[in-house]
Amino acid sequence: MELATPPGVLLESLPSLYVHLPFCKSRCRYCDFNAWVWKGQDLGRLVDALLQEAELRVPGLRPQTFFLGGGTPSLLPPEELLRLLQGLDAILDFRDSSLESSMEANPESFDEATAEAAVAGGLNRISIGAQSFRPPVLAAYDRPHGPEDIEKAVASARGAGFENLNLDLIFAFPGQDPLEWEADLNRALRLGPQHLSCYELTFEPGTPLTRKRDAGRMEEEDSDLCLHLFDRTLEICSEAGLDRYEISNFSLPGMACLHNLAGWRRLPLVGIGPGACGWGDGVHRKNISDPAAWQADLEGGGDGLEESSTPNSQTSAFEHLMMGLRLEKEGVRLSRVKESTGVNVEDLPGDPLALLVAEGLLEILSGPEGRVLRATPAGFPLLDHSLQRLLPEGRG
Amino acid sequence: MSKKLPLHRIRNFSIIAHIDHGKSTLADRLMEHAGAVDKNRSRDQLLDSMDLERERGITIKAASVALEVDVRGEMHLLNLIDTPGHVDFSYEVEKSLQACEGALLLIDAAQGIQAQTVANATLAMDQDMEVIPVLNKIDLPHARPEEVLEQLEHVLLLESESCISCSAKTGKGVEELIEAVVDRVPAPTGDQDNPLRALIFDAKYDEYRGVIVNLRMVDGVIRKGDMVHMLGAKADYEVLELGKFTPDPKPCDSLEPGEVGYLISNIKKLGDVHIGDTLTVQKGERASRLPGYREPQPMVWCGLYPVRSGDFENLRSALNTLKLNDSSLVFEPESSDALGFGFRCGFLGLLHMEIVQERLERESGLDIVQTAPTVPYEILMQGGNLHTIHSPGELPESNLYEEIREPVVTTHLLIPVEAIGAIMHLCSERRGRFLRQEHLSPTRVMLTWDLPLSEIIFDFYDKLKSGTRGYGTMNMDEPRFEAADLVKLRILVGGNEADALSIICHKEVAERRGRSVLRKLQKEIPRHQFEVALQASIGGKIVARESIRALSKNVTAKCYGGDITRKRKLLEQQKKGKKRMKSIGNVEVPQKAFLAVLSTDE
Ligand SMILES: Nc1nc2c(ncn2[C@@H]2O[C@H](COP(=O)(O)OP(=O)(O)OP(=O)(O)O)[C@@H](O)[C@H]2O)c(=O)[nH]1
Ligand code: SF4
Ligand SMILES: [Mg+2]
Repeated sequence: MELATPPGVLLESLPSLYVHLPFCKSRCRYCDFNAWVWKGQDLGRLVDALLQEAELRVPGLRPQTFFLGGGTPSLLPPEELLRLLQGLDAILDFRDSSLESSMEANPESFDEATAEAAVAGGLNRISIGAQSFRPPVLAAYDRPHGPEDIEKAVASARGAGFENLNLDLIFAFPGQDPLEWEADLNRALRLGPQHLSCYELTFEPGTPLTRKRDAGRMEEEDSDLCLHLFDRTLEICSEAGLDRYEISNFSLPGMACLHNLAGWRRLPLVGIGPGACGWGDGVHRKNISDPAAWQADLEGGGDGLEESSTPNSQTSAFEHLMMGLRLEKEGVRLSRVKESTGVNVEDLPGDPLALLVAEGLLEILSGPEGRVLRATPAGFPLLDHSLQRLLPEGRG
Repeated sequence: MSKKLPLHRIRNFSIIAHIDHGKSTLADRLMEHAGAVDKNRSRDQLLDSMDLERERGITIKAASVALEVDVRGEMHLLNLIDTPGHVDFSYEVEKSLQACEGALLLIDAAQGIQAQTVANATLAMDQDMEVIPVLNKIDLPHARPEEVLEQLEHVLLLESESCISCSAKTGKGVEELIEAVVDRVPAPTGDQDNPLRALIFDAKYDEYRGVIVNLRMVDGVIRKGDMVHMLGAKADYEVLELGKFTPDPKPCDSLEPGEVGYLISNIKKLGDVHIGDTLTVQKGERASRLPGYREPQPMVWCGLYPVRSGDFENLRSALNTLKLNDSSLVFEPESSDALGFGFRCGFLGLLHMEIVQERLERESGLDIVQTAPTVPYEILMQGGNLHTIHSPGELPESNLYEEIREPVVTTHLLIPVEAIGAIMHLCSERRGRFLRQEHLSPTRVMLTWDLPLSEIIFDFYDKLKSGTRGYGTMNMDEPRFEAADLVKLRILVGGNEADALSIICHKEVAERRGRSVLRKLQKEIPRHQFEVALQASIGGKIVARESIRALSKNVTAKCYGGDITRKRKLLEQQKKGKKRMKSIGNVEVPQKAFLAVLSTDE
């Protein structure tokens, strides 16, 4: 109902573009992204390959949002970063078409020169991976930076002219005093970000942190405490004028991340780079994850694709709900799900939606744009539970 | 195996003993002696061929092997059967003994006579067969052969001079042992010219070859291509393959009296194969039936339910297949409000139950939920009818019956003298009735108690072991039923009675049991998005309550446009994990919780 951004800012038919830079200085212990420790691989050739993929697959794309993510894009030397951005612009014309052009940066590698290259390359939003301001926590995560590096990186961004700045933070570190998280959050807010992403620490399958937990050497925080931290985060951010518009995302009014919004609304997405995923015309596309293999494929005349798949209409409808219900106030427009997948989710076998509504976990509102499904305040922190019940039976 | 050996050159014997006294190891040495297996192979206890046997280091299934051995210049055919030692598999021992004329009774020279030594020796002696006592593990530094020989005379009334000493580990004494088998075990009797008569003493289902039937030949000759008839099942089959286990299956053209081997036919109906049945000819004069086997007497019962309700028929066929290889398994269909359709299954003990469930899951790939085990009860109804129930759910309303009778067993406990006090205390705590105390030697004593089966079947053995620093063993007689002050403890989950969780227990401990079951459930049932109330009730009165707090937060922290497929798959996996659970009302209960009622913790 309450859109996270004024209607008409993002168009349903236009694509967004994501470019993946797969290398990091070191590997964080909680991380399950497609990230690889940089061991001197030729970054110039990597940039060439990225440009080559863009040229090959989507020349003249004119995306409505642009996002350079990773890994750690700030790992690129300034001149390579600039070459990449200018090259992409020449192929895609993103500076003209894009409402928002973001880049991820890590504190240890985001200096003035890099910030200036980013601005010169046409970027207008920066997202800095702060994660925590506490040295022991950063050490437990194996982050290659200290708290002061975060402040320096913010200063570099501001100095180069970034007016739209996000900080990534993680809460619910096992055994941490809740007040320590509040202190972290307040310290981040003092840096005056336009946007904050506050993630609960997740024990993803296969990460060193998860192995440590499974070996009994670390205990996940109790869900009551996580809820408390989640609620406190909301209160503290609201006091600072940042609204929550998604599970983990907060922004000053009108400063929600458009690129990510497009993802939650499930608008078309083009992914360039190793392991990058895309979506459009009913097809999921995923690139080869291993940077060397992806690069070799492109250099050998391939298109870097690992697999593409076409989910059936039930699965596709579920994906709309899975993404859209994350938008706290906006929710999912049911008519849009119907239009794009042919499935009326109010008509599913066994009617799980009605049950979830009856249990007070979801609600359906009627408005000018038709019926909108969203999580209730009680159901919002339990979204995965609701989603599991909405999952189509059998394989998708 | 080229030429057939005459009857007087054949010996059939089982190796029997208490668990771990070295039966399978001795079988290794005997096979090596016969040159049947490579001495330098990497595996020990070769006849323990099931994965489960190797993982647990115990024999579960009896295994037979035919060996040709030169004894004092003459070839002999030795058919040996290695049997399990654990009390839960004593039915296997019984079946094996009936295919033999003699038994090697192994006794660990360090541990001496243990409860299953006595029990298995009794089984053999009851069949009037030659029992050769064998003192094994004499290589052990703490072996005490004199003391054990004394026990042998005293407890089993076997002459110590008849005993052979050996080490199954080093091979010392094995040759002497083989000579003793040839000299002392009678050759089988039987007549080639009589009509075919063979005992079906085991079988198994092989994915590629169908049913493989194990035979002990008594009379007549069976040849490849013959038409045969199973007397009990009244079924006819053509013999497609005959062979012997050497120990690998090795085809042969015929089997003659005294021989042990296998038969393969195109047996389609598993139900046609009855262990203990007699095989004879289809046409012409048929033999009379061999004595066969007594029905197994299950001591513990539990429900087995498929996790996916659509798998009921698959579970039935899996049970039938397993029953072929484990004839002590008993089952009948049942249904539960909470769990749907499944089977009530009877087992010879808890280990047997555990093994059956594992084998079912491994061999059929089904996911199974098991309810808490219970002993059987006899219910004396108003009006005098007596009937047996195998599940607490079957207990009628209390106004409909006069009394509940529980199985009581006379239990023999072989323990070191210094543990008498501790074990006496344990038995009286378990509602036991003391019968007598006998000294077997200056250091060992046998206590005999009457104990309710329900009090000993679950954790009594562990307590016995810890109370005797590992040196205590026990053996039980057949159960009989006696009236007792028993009540049904019902468990309610989220307000719904969970019939699969209810138990029958003694009135005096019922409240305490109720509280401990609820505490266990509280740990085992995962948090839901609502609070789950747990209650225990006796005769309509709530005697204990607990609750499981609602899950407060369960949402993926990080999920963006590029992650869609991966995150969806993660949700699918989590949901699949939940499918291994059964729901009671709207509460998902995992398998482990159904066993919570087992615990008797304080
Ligand atoms: N030192 C010594 N160890 C032995 C001897 N015979 C067997 N063992 C060991 O005793 C253990 C049990 O041996 P098994 O042959 O598996 O015993 P089992 O009687 O077949 O056991 P179940 O089939 O489970 O009843 C193994 O670790 C053997 O290596 C022996 O003569 N000397
Ligand atoms: S910097 Fe980011 S992408 Fe790289 S390892 Fe750490 S969390 Fe993963
Ligand atoms: Mg064995």
